[in-house]
Amino acid sequence: MMLIKIAWKNIWRSKGRSLVVIGSIVVGVWALIFGTGFMNGFIVNYMAEIINNDISHVQVHHPEFKKDLEVKYSINDGRLKAEKIRSWEGVEGATTRTIVSGMISSAQKASGIQIRGIDLENESVVTGLDEMIGEGSYFEGIKRNPIVIGDNLAETLKVGVRSKVVLTFNDGNGQITAGAFRVAGILNTSSVNISERYAFVLQEDINRLVGLGDQVHEIAILLDQQQEEAQIISRYQSEFNGDLAETWREIAPELNLLQEMYGSMLYVLMGIILTALIFGIVNTMLMAVLERFKELGMLMAVGMNRIRVYFMIIFETLFLGIAGAPLGLLFGWMTIKYYETYGVDLSSYSEGLEAVGYSSILYPYLEGNTYIIVTIGVLFTALIAALYPAWKAVKLKPVEALHKI
Amino acid sequence: MSVILAKNLTKIYQETAVPVKALNNLSLEVTEGEFTAVVGPSGCGKTTLLNVLGGLDSPTEGTVELAGTDITQMKESKLIDFRLRNIGFVFQAYNLIPVLTTLENIEFIMLLQKVDKATRNKRSLELMREMGIEDKASKRPSQLSGGQQQRVAVARALASKPKFILADEPTANLDSVSTANLLDIMAKLNREEKATFVFSTHDQRVIDKARRVVTLEDGAIVSDEIRQ
Ligand SMILES: Nc1ncnc2c1ncn2[C@@H]1O[C@H](COP(=O)(O)OP(=O)(O)OP(=O)(O)O)[C@@H](O)[C@H]1O
Ligand SMILES: [Mg+2]
Repeated sequence: MMLIKIAWKNIWRSKGRSLVVIGSIVVGVWALIFGTGFMNGFIVNYMAEIINNDISHVQVHHPEFKKDLEVKYSINDGRLKAEKIRSWEGVEGATTRTIVSGMISSAQKASGIQIRGIDLENESVVTGLDEMIGEGSYFEGIKRNPIVIGDNLAETLKVGVRSKVVLTFNDGNGQITAGAFRVAGILNTSSVNISERYAFVLQEDINRLVGLGDQVHEIAILLDQQQEEAQIISRYQSEFNGDLAETWREIAPELNLLQEMYGSMLYVLMGIILTALIFGIVNTMLMAVLERFKELGMLMAVGMNRIRVYFMIIFETLFLGIAGAPLGLLFGWMTIKYYETYGVDLSSYSEGLEAVGYSSILYPYLEGNTYIIVTIGVLFTALIAALYPAWKAVKLKPVEALHKI
Repeated sequence: MSVILAKNLTKIYQETAVPVKALNNLSLEVTEGEFTAVVGPSGCGKTTLLNVLGGLDSPTEGTVELAGTDITQMKESKLIDFRLRNIGFVFQAYNLIPVLTTLENIEFIMLLQKVDKATRNKRSLELMREMGIEDKASKRPSQLSGGQQQRVAVARALASKPKFILADEPTANLDSVSTANLLDIMAKLNREEKATFVFSTHDQRVIDKARRVVTLEDGAIVSDEIRQ
């Protein structure tokens, strides 16, 4: 008890110096919280956007389909299966698609694309495609063969709403087929795929053109937040076997990598910042020990044992952390809360970012236990930093320290 | 009963370019209740002797028995504990813990000894009264004069009733009034509490108050005189 009291008072003997260390702990903790929140926000938003707007949680295909996107490899009774899946627990939505690779051409230009024949209603549920419409409408107002494309593609083709475009593709029998479509809407999105690589048409239109009847190539399934993907996969396999059902991790391995990065971001940042802090703390405590050599010598001479001296120095160091960490946590928390509400506006850099699929307003994301991990990290750092100075203190010989008794 | 029994002490400082013999085959016995001054010219070995007697330094040769225990072979960690329980120290300076008050400083040794609070308080108050510093109980060392600081140091050394008290030039930094004052208090405690004091000094007025005067020269005792 007394040790703790003395230790606490000791850190205020050299106020300026202690405040500098406490200040750097505050800044370090703040940077840690904010940096982690910011980077995690980046990753989480990016992943959520790709999953929610493009690839969904689970996709089903014919086992051979993904190799060459050959029209003949469709899913047996795909629409029926999707209908059933929609009623499963943990499923938010499921939609079917016919996927045909081909070319889109306007009067001026042509571009290679993936034609996606969609189920309007369910596509809205699964990817919210209807909400991405920036100009025109979601397949309304055009009677025959409406098509919806992304803004980048529209720009490349130099087309607008109601412009005519021609889709050229290989039908199921190896014949090149073409169809005339009219632009119903233009999508405004940060997703690269949607804005320049896909062209959306009605499933019945494309199926008629390729002679596919009511078959489809893809079932995309969006799950509830808490639902495990693996569970849905195994349910799919037990109810309808023969198809290839994959999670987003398999469909987009790069996202999986990102998610791993997300988990380690905190520790990487923590490693960097805390290492810097260690040096500051060691330096300060070493100074504190050296300038108190005589006093420490006296304490040991009159009978304060080494364990007590050791712990006194350890406590002093811990108190620096204990004084700094809560303030840093508070500032970090406030910063995160502020930006969770208002977002970080990246629009001045967003051209570059949107090109790789980021939206321009970023919301930080931080799990609650981060605060605890950071607190433990800081105290642990203080403890590590205390070891050498404390050892120095214990090693001194009273007679030498005092010179004369 | 002897509280200090030193036999054939020799201390040679080897670390220096030329080894220095600071104590030369010195033997000394101090019995309970004595009030002893160790005197002699600068460099004669007073500090070295007190360090060795207090277990702060080890002799090159010879033995030191304190209250019947031979400390010559003791390990440092045991020695610290031995010092805590048996010896009171008063140094020339840096005696007190700057962040603690007078009262807390006096209680410090008792706290290390795990003396209970009631006893601590009673003893501290009693000593502060005897020292004439009861009004300084909540002052920090930096708010006290040099003389007052040394009185706090003596009070702390005495508080836990050690077997004896070692004081190396306790008055070296004090003016003559404070010096006389401190010596009077030490003498009084020696009479009333039977506290055994061994102190070194240069100061003739301090020497005059001693009841036994041990004079050193070149690390050996040249005279040992007992007065009334
Ligand atoms: N740590 C040391 N290393 C080497 N020599 C030392 C050391 N301490 C003291 N000495 C030498 O030992 C001798 C005795 O020194 P000591 O300090 O005991 O004398 P003293 O009587 O206390 O002197 P003073 O009255 O000046 O305090 C001196 O010659 C001194 O130079
Ligand atoms: Mg000396």
